[in-house]
Amino acid sequence: MADVAPAQTGANPQSPVPLDSIPISPEGALNGTVAVKSEKPAHSETDLVTVFHNPDNFNVKHPLMNHWTLWFTKPPSGKGDNWNDLLKEVITFETVEEFWGIYNNITLTSELALKSDYHLFKKGVRPEWEDPQNKHGGKWSYSFKEKKSIPIDSLWLHVMLAAIGETLEDDGDGEVMGVVVNVRKAFFRIGLWTRTVGKSVPGGGDGNNAGGKGRTTEQGKDVLMKIGKRFKEAIGLGDTEQVEFSGHMDAAHAGSTRAKAKFTI
Amino acid sequence: PVEPAQPTAGMQALKSARLLQVKEIDSVKYPNGILSPNPAVNNISKSQGIQYSKDFLMQFQDVFKEKPSLDWDAKVKETIGDGSDSA
Repeated sequence: MADVAPAQTGANPQSPVPLDSIPISPEGALNGTVAVKSEKPAHSETDLVTVFHNPDNFNVKHPLMNHWTLWFTKPPSGKGDNWNDLLKEVITFETVEEFWGIYNNITLTSELALKSDYHLFKKGVRPEWEDPQNKHGGKWSYSFKEKKSIPIDSLWLHVMLAAIGETLEDDGDGEVMGVVVNVRKAFFRIGLWTRTVGKSVPGGGDGNNAGGKGRTTEQGKDVLMKIGKRFKEAIGLGDTEQVEFSGHMDAAHAGSTRAKAKFTI
Repeated sequence: PVEPAQPTAGMQALKSARLLQVKEIDSVKYPNGILSPNPAVNNISKSQGIQYSKDFLMQFQDVFKEKPSLDWDAKVKETIGDGSDSA
């Protein structure tokens, strides 16, 4: 392909020429002796320009199915501060691009002080079991006890991506409320909170939705087990490790030592 | 007076860009070498939104690094701290 401007005068191509002397529309294009293709025109109004095309001048962004809020639990100061002062809402976002802007400019989990948590929850749900949308629910969780040898930053990233990418549950499951990472002295723990423990809940309606009477206990359990399996894959666990599901109420009433897992996978 | 910080081009693009619609996702011509959202998981006719695979999402990691706001660093320091303060 002769995509170069036609030789006009036999000038030495090595010698510099003033920019304004270079023809914008070579004559060769007019008389048809040389096929000169103009460069692709600048993006027109209707082009879908993503951040991959031009990170400084894109015109479409990738929507998430849900709006998500990032929360942070500060470590206690030791001066009798209460939970409400420690749990901080950081930011709410609704696009893939915003997620990465936040993730790329926030402290990594591996650099947090002990007793910190990150929580990534659907907008409008506080990451507390007392929240009306959590109080009948539970969580899948796994504690990584070899703190030094596990890549906690990528595991937490992957579980957040599975949440915002909506690959932890299927359309209509309606169970996933949020994901959480806890930084503790002896372990990192990653959890996934669900709306129900597989049963209908007060005010859950009659339909086949999370907490609805139209979803049998058997179906509810199947949905939770499927989500647990995907959660386990997202945090890179093999067949020999087990993730455990427990209801928030059970844990609250029984005390952590007596709370036994309802399901494992 | 101190010049106020100016948003970067990327921050402005994020602000002014519109949300892709579900039905448009097939029309996006991603540059060579960029995976599109896995079509196998997206039934566009019935889906309320777009599902994104981990591999699709990871591609943004080095592409979009703009801070969410001009006062972001101060906000992070205030809410999260620098991570060095021990409990």
